[in-house]
Amino acid sequence: MDYKIQDIEKSFEGKIIENLGNNDYVIKINDSEHKLKIITMNSNGIEFILDQKYHKAKYLEQSTSEMNIVIDNVPIIINRNTHFDKVVYKNSGGASSGNSQLALKSQIPGKVVSISVSEGDSVKKGDVVCTLESMKMQVAIKSHKDGVVKTIKVKETATVAKGDVVAEIE
Amino acid sequence: MIEKVLIANRGEIALRVIRTCKALGIKTVAVYSDEDYNSMHVKQATEAYHIGEAAPAKSYLNQEKILEVMLKSGTDAVHPGYGFLSENDEFVSLCDKNKITFIGPTAESMDLCGDKMKCKSAMLKADVPTVPGSPGLVKDADDAEKIANEIGYPVMLKSVYGGGGRGIRIVTNDKELRDGFESVTGESIAAVGKSAILVEKYLEKTRHIEYQFARDTHGNTVHIFERECSIQRRNQKLIEQTPSPIVDEETRARVGESVCRAADAVGYTNLGTAEFLRADNGEFYFIEINARLQVEHPITEFVSGLDLVKLQLDIANGEAIPFKQSDLKMNGYAIECRINAEDTFLDFAPSTGPVPDVTIPAGPSVRCDTYLYPGCTVSPFYDSLMAKLVTWGQTFEESRTRMLAALNDFYIQGVETSIPLYKTILNSDEYKNGDLSTDFLKRYDMIDRLTEDLKKEKEDKSEAVLAAAIIHSEYFKSRAQNSTTNNTNWKYKLD
Repeated sequence: MDYKIQDIEKSFEGKIIENLGNNDYVIKINDSEHKLKIITMNSNGIEFILDQKYHKAKYLEQSTSEMNIVIDNVPIIINRNTHFDKVVYKNSGGASSGNSQLALKSQIPGKVVSISVSEGDSVKKGDVVCTLESMKMQVAIKSHKDGVVKTIKVKETATVAKGDVVAEIE
Repeated sequence: MIEKVLIANRGEIALRVIRTCKALGIKTVAVYSDEDYNSMHVKQATEAYHIGEAAPAKSYLNQEKILEVMLKSGTDAVHPGYGFLSENDEFVSLCDKNKITFIGPTAESMDLCGDKMKCKSAMLKADVPTVPGSPGLVKDADDAEKIANEIGYPVMLKSVYGGGGRGIRIVTNDKELRDGFESVTGESIAAVGKSAILVEKYLEKTRHIEYQFARDTHGNTVHIFERECSIQRRNQKLIEQTPSPIVDEETRARVGESVCRAADAVGYTNLGTAEFLRADNGEFYFIEINARLQVEHPITEFVSGLDLVKLQLDIANGEAIPFKQSDLKMNGYAIECRINAEDTFLDFAPSTGPVPDVTIPAGPSVRCDTYLYPGCTVSPFYDSLMAKLVTWGQTFEESRTRMLAALNDFYIQGVETSIPLYKTILNSDEYKNGDLSTDFLKRYDMIDRLTEDLKKEKEDKSEAVLAAAIIHSEYFKSRAQNSTTNNTNWKYKLD
């Protein structure tokens, strides 16, 4: 299967080439072979010895194309078995549909303390759309582009989660 | 004698106070909001009382409710921790009226420390130098602008009721000043319900150096050395260390004497901290007295060998400080990293939510004060400090490498943390050489270096993570082929 590690340019091919029994395997990553011994494993994670070194991994969210793994306390996102060019395009925002370009999302959770624009207002990139309060800090949510405020999706005193759409800007 | 202490706080500091009380055989009373019923301080205290809704104003700042609990539980003293009611002189008076010992300064002394203008003039009388700025509160944005133009930009807008870095803005021109004035006012009103603003000259390439001091009810005053807290973001401390790399014996003693004069000048009792800015020319300017136990007190505990909460309790009991200035010897080097729940790459925005798994570092001379446990939650209602990681070493280098090892061992699942940034900072030559300043992060492009370090870390882990991914992928393949064996607790079922 083919793999791609987020933020690393090259892609990898990896597979198990032999099961030696007694939880010992030989795996191949690109052109190099490695010995792998599974110490313990379940659907949440795995502990193993790769060549001579111990590792502990947790499997977090999974989808068919994306794996979120914490390896030795380092969180890493891996894409597998997909057309990588599309994945890269999507991650860079290039292929986002019309709708997600409209949407201004909150990057943080918080309570709406004030809304600075009305529907129909023209805004410039960087203008404050609303202000959130989180962990006693006030944080401004700024427009991601020049445009006109089509709809405002939040009300004052409302609570928003990370990733919630705050407004749509056309 | 104090026999039962209510801790009017939450999180790691509530736990810190409980720990010393337990060691001394003192009973403890915890209070908690709706958000905190499952928090560690509730579980560790002798008794715990619910005091209201999640919002601080309706729980941890609710003086009447906390008083009610103190009276009901038979509490004879209250420890305020830091933040919340810790520097509220009205609360101190309320405790006095009800014959409950407030572990901290008197209401009068706290009022004097909290009033930055009165405090400044007391310091000038005591021959302690201060930073140029507005002679009093500014009336409005127009007044602030006038003073800013007199002393020259950049200036700092400071809320009198701020503290802990909130309610402070640095502005470099009239427009920024007007925007900043509005947001400082807003933050102050949101936090304490009122606002009053000062303008002060902002000094560049400054170091933040502060002194721990103690003063008992008999008038004995000692300083317990300095702490350098220059590594900050948004004027909030991230990494602290003691001794400061630029404070020598002579400076330590000289500035230390002025600290004792400052404590005497405001009639302080109990433990406090005198904060200074050290300008690039070597001058120390007094900024303020923090009339409470500081977040970063553990580094002082490491180099002095003292339990500062015990010292607070002794002083609150009316005892004399059991040592003299000359008895205190500084031993070794200590560093603290504040482990915050925040996303470094989103301008340090808060990151909250459930924490399913945690690994807390340990080992010789490694201390971690934290409220985290596997299955806890980081609440959006309170501040972002999850843990304080502190290491000690016989040399600075030993404390630094010990901190790096401990940071590597620290794992917090579910929220973004400041741990990766600290690894980058502690590995930098600038940090190793003690080239510190309050603008350290920007001055040395630490965020860009962090991006590089994270990329390198991923490259280093690429083979291991691929191995984990390959095993996982093969497992799902074998499950799909063998869909009748629907066992979720599969083990090593690879063909």
